[in-house]
Amino acid sequence: MTDVIAFDHVAFRYPEAESRHGSVSPWAIADVTLTIPAGAMVLVVGPSGAGKSTLLRCINGLVPHFTGGTFVGRLEVMGLDPIAAGPETMCRHVGFVFQDPEAQFVMDRVEDEIAFALENAAMPPPEMHARVEEVLARLDLVSLRHRPLVTLSGGEKQRVAIAAALALRPRILVLDEPTSQLDPQAAEELLGFLARLGETSGLTLVLAEHRLERVLDFADLLVYVSGGAAPVIFGDPASVLSQVDLAPPVARVGKALGWSPLPVTLAQGARFAVDAMAGRKVDDALLRRDRGDEGADQQAAARPPILEAAALQVAYGDVPVLRGVTLSLYAGEVTVLMGRNGAGKSTLLKSLIGLVRPQQGHVWLVGRDTAGVAVADICREVAYLPQDPNALLFADTVREELNITLRNHSLEPSQVPVAPDALLAELGLADKREAYPRDLSVGERQRVALAAITVTHPKVILLDEPTRGLDYAAKAGLIELIRRWRAAGLALLLVTHDVELAADVADRVLLMVEGRIVADGSPWDVMGHSDLLAPQIARLFPDAGWLTAEEAAAALMNAGDGTT
Amino acid sequence: MHPLAWLVWLGASAVATLAMRNPLYLLLLFAVIYVVTDVIRGAESGRGGATTASTDAVTEPMMLPVSPIRFALFAMGVGALINGLISHFGETELLRLPEVIPLLGGPITAEAVVYGAINGMVLATLFATFAVLNVAVPTRDLIGYLPRAFYPVAVVSAIAITFVPNTLYQLRQVREAQAIRGHRMRGLRDWLPLFLPVLIGGLERALQLAEAMTARGFAAKGAAAPAAHTADIARFASIGGLAAVLVGGVLRLVPGAGRWSPVLVVGGTLLVAWAIWRSGRQVNITRYRRARWTMGDGVMVVGALLALVPLFLWPATRDYSPYPRLLWPSFDTRVGLALLGFLAPALVLHLARPPAQGERQ
Amino acid sequence: MRSCSFVGSRLAVHHVRRSLRWFIYLLASLVGVVAFVYPFFPRIEADAGPVVQAMDSPLFLGLLGGLSLLALLLETQDGVEASGVSGETKRIALLGVLVGLNAVLSFVETAIPGPGGFSPIFFLIILGGYVYGGRFGYLLGALTLFVSALITGGVGPWLPYRMLIAGWIGLAAPLMARINRALRVQGTRWELVVLAVYGGVWGLAFGALMNLWFWPFATGPAEQHWQIGISVWEGVQRFLAFYVATSLLWDLARVAGTAAMMLLFGAPTLRTLRRFARRFYFEVRQCASSLSQGELSA
Repeated sequence: MTDVIAFDHVAFRYPEAESRHGSVSPWAIADVTLTIPAGAMVLVVGPSGAGKSTLLRCINGLVPHFTGGTFVGRLEVMGLDPIAAGPETMCRHVGFVFQDPEAQFVMDRVEDEIAFALENAAMPPPEMHARVEEVLARLDLVSLRHRPLVTLSGGEKQRVAIAAALALRPRILVLDEPTSQLDPQAAEELLGFLARLGETSGLTLVLAEHRLERVLDFADLLVYVSGGAAPVIFGDPASVLSQVDLAPPVARVGKALGWSPLPVTLAQGARFAVDAMAGRKVDDALLRRDRGDEGADQQAAARPPILEAAALQVAYGDVPVLRGVTLSLYAGEVTVLMGRNGAGKSTLLKSLIGLVRPQQGHVWLVGRDTAGVAVADICREVAYLPQDPNALLFADTVREELNITLRNHSLEPSQVPVAPDALLAELGLADKREAYPRDLSVGERQRVALAAITVTHPKVILLDEPTRGLDYAAKAGLIELIRRWRAAGLALLLVTHDVELAADVADRVLLMVEGRIVADGSPWDVMGHSDLLAPQIARLFPDAGWLTAEEAAAALMNAGDGTT
Repeated sequence: MHPLAWLVWLGASAVATLAMRNPLYLLLLFAVIYVVTDVIRGAESGRGGATTASTDAVTEPMMLPVSPIRFALFAMGVGALINGLISHFGETELLRLPEVIPLLGGPITAEAVVYGAINGMVLATLFATFAVLNVAVPTRDLIGYLPRAFYPVAVVSAIAITFVPNTLYQLRQVREAQAIRGHRMRGLRDWLPLFLPVLIGGLERALQLAEAMTARGFAAKGAAAPAAHTADIARFASIGGLAAVLVGGVLRLVPGAGRWSPVLVVGGTLLVAWAIWRSGRQVNITRYRRARWTMGDGVMVVGALLALVPLFLWPATRDYSPYPRLLWPSFDTRVGLALLGFLAPALVLHLARPPAQGERQ
Repeated sequence: MRSCSFVGSRLAVHHVRRSLRWFIYLLASLVGVVAFVYPFFPRIEADAGPVVQAMDSPLFLGLLGGLSLLALLLETQDGVEASGVSGETKRIALLGVLVGLNAVLSFVETAIPGPGGFSPIFFLIILGGYVYGGRFGYLLGALTLFVSALITGGVGPWLPYRMLIAGWIGLAAPLMARINRALRVQGTRWELVVLAVYGGVWGLAFGALMNLWFWPFATGPAEQHWQIGISVWEGVQRFLAFYVATSLLWDLARVAGTAAMMLLFGAPTLRTLRRFARRFYFEVRQCASSLSQGELSA
């Protein structure tokens, strides 16, 4: 099998890093040596900012032709040198798909977008038409060909982006986190599609992804990039994952219990799990999730709810979105709201904070009806983190963002219970006080947004899809924050598709279908057996009552039996 | 219908409008154009899902174009008013303002009013012609038919149009996001927290878009490398052409040298056109969408051009002046009939009504 | 081990080419100006033949305006020698997005009615030209009006003229940069004041020039004037009276609005545009000797 991509001691440094000093290495990638055979599906993983994107962009010459900087080493792709050839030549051999489906399109119709690259390559029209037909068929877009791109879903848009990249018939397709802006179902579909594409067309696929659970089924090779001067680890999935911390739940359990060869997918872990569970009695007591003392749970139920909604009905024009939703949020409790796209979850959050006023029903905040209260007043007590926190940030420094919120509420920094600087320290942003918020990483930006909305010390925090685009480290930081808020007595409501997150933090889970709440209970009750919602561990160990790898590993290790 | 055919039609109609001052002809032309507009609108709604400039399904029509008739009434009214008040020539006096008032003082004459109304009619007819363009040619197609020399302009316009819905959506998101941190819209200053995040988001998106375009091999001049010296030849031709036009125009004002003007102007224009063509040759791209010329297009073009012929062949009745005394304008049936040639597109569309109208892409 | 570093683009734009470019701007703009003021000037030979007389009609003025616009568009869109292929792509993408944003602004303004002729689009056009250069400013101005007309179905006979004037606003903005540098007010409040004055002047000029365009329609063919015997100066007087009576208030609203936007929003917008300017400009290429292992792990 020939190697189509060969890195040989490649290092790269961005132009801004030229003058950087200190402990942080200026090299975005350092001493990368790896080879990729033709037809392989390669997964590139690692923490945010480690250099995955840089690595991928070397393959088609975007680095350094688009970004500038210093490039060291040898790189060969399809027999060409991307540095010498540049993206104009490499585009015929390497197709590239980016993360944000909104920001990749020049034209506004599907067909025109696909033809754009061909027009620019001065291809004769008959050949152009043939290629467009071919690509539309391959990516299952024929029924969508005349549609305006704004009317497509995220998954469909990414398919169009893939189609546009494949129009030039490259042999390699590189995708930089194509599913991070999509919901899990669309992500599953897209990844399945890519896997089939790789198999049937012989394309070499190089994919950067955060969430391993989705993709390990398909990957032939894994490249782990940890950042800075650490070398890149490269090989088949099981061996790479055994060397690194990053791993899906099944692998984490496997590592803790010493399963070998390390299972990385559900299928591989199944037989280990069955053996481990053999002979164990399913203890009813184990089914009770231990989240703190049970006494406190019962006390919480007796306390009055901080935020309450009753029989909310919301319709946009003629279309009903919420059909009588009733829920209560209590202090010191984390509630997770799950449901498919379009079920009305975001609308519910917005009506809780007053952005959307219900046609019927009431919302009470600490006993007071919020009808007629301005959003600006409600948000002093109820903080809401929108899906895209970038919409909040526009100040020159992080500290200024907090000041803006204070000024909006006509508050002095001395008038809030927690001083703004202390708040920044709590959120881990103390050293970023003077940084430009839009320059920070996704996780940091989210925390700046959180700081900006919690500076007034609210009693309730509503989070809308907070884990979109976050890597494992940032997610762990968020979970830590949520736990701290819970301990401080805030009421939290999370809307998320991320079942692993829900498994980690939820005290209560609500399931919403078509504008109604159809399930409300403990995490195990709602998610444990659900086809759609069960986390990987629950699928691995059905009926055991565990939702996270840590619980399963702890329980199995304590039991002392059943390990292989 | 081929967009270039529409452009020819529009050009001919504009030439006719600007060459005439006879109100009867103008009225006739206006009526003809209005009929054409109506037929097109009927054809579009019959087909359903039109994507013309004024009914774009993608972008919300925030501003509907003014109806040609309403504009005509407005323009004629304004023209009549202004000219009537300012110009005091003519014999038929309607009323007299005291002479002490500067500029307005003096007789308000019917001739001046009519004169102003005619000028307004010219503008209104011109407006109506362009209104046809708005209804007949889809926005995107218009951009696609820009000459090759203007490829970067076409790409920028395409990107802008693509980003309009996105920007509107961002605006809504930002408005909500700022509301939940206590922002209230009280004065002009409170627009900044709405504007700035949208601007920053747009700049970030532009960078991502540029990356995506580069990854697909986009180059502003298409597939060929730019040759600097040929660009210079085009530049020199531009300079020469512009200078010639300028000199030609100025010479017209100089007594005795007037006869050189047309030569210089025409020559200069041709030079600039050549420079554009030459620049276009350097842009190495092909077009995916190309409407095909049909018989209907040919009929339309021929009809429009033929309509002009009598106007210049028998120019006696073209110009009309109400001064010094208001008289009924003369009407040459030959010219009038010829003007009906502008009805050609209405005819073609009407005949082509059955669903198998799929020649158009 | 071969290594190469990219440090900048081909900045050596030939000086001759640069002056050629500015000469074209000047000439083309002159042609455009002539298109606006031509009606005021008396044509002595009233019977110089039909071909020559055709030059008196608005058709001729349309031709002049069109030529001016096309020549300026042609020249400003060509920047590959200066920025390189990649840099030009960035400019095109940036222009596209800003034109889209400005077009949205122009009809947001009709949704939330401001006084009179207030139009928020000039703000970005001025700042875009100020920060990113005359070429950029010209295209931002002209294409904002183009795209906004396309989207709202408002393509009319006045469009090329509006494009021309809006383009001039952006094209001349870098002159303000030079003035500000000479006055040493960069980074202070006075920078914005200068820009506000610039915007105010152009706000009036825009209105005045568009009225100038309308003037021949209102007053009719030029030779009729001189048959009646109006001199240049009287013609100008009439025009000024017309302008004051009809649209001065309108234009003052535009002036006030643009100035207000500049003073209120100018500082953060300038900061943002300048911040992003760094990312859009490309670095020059330079080959260094290969790096040692020690340098790599440093």
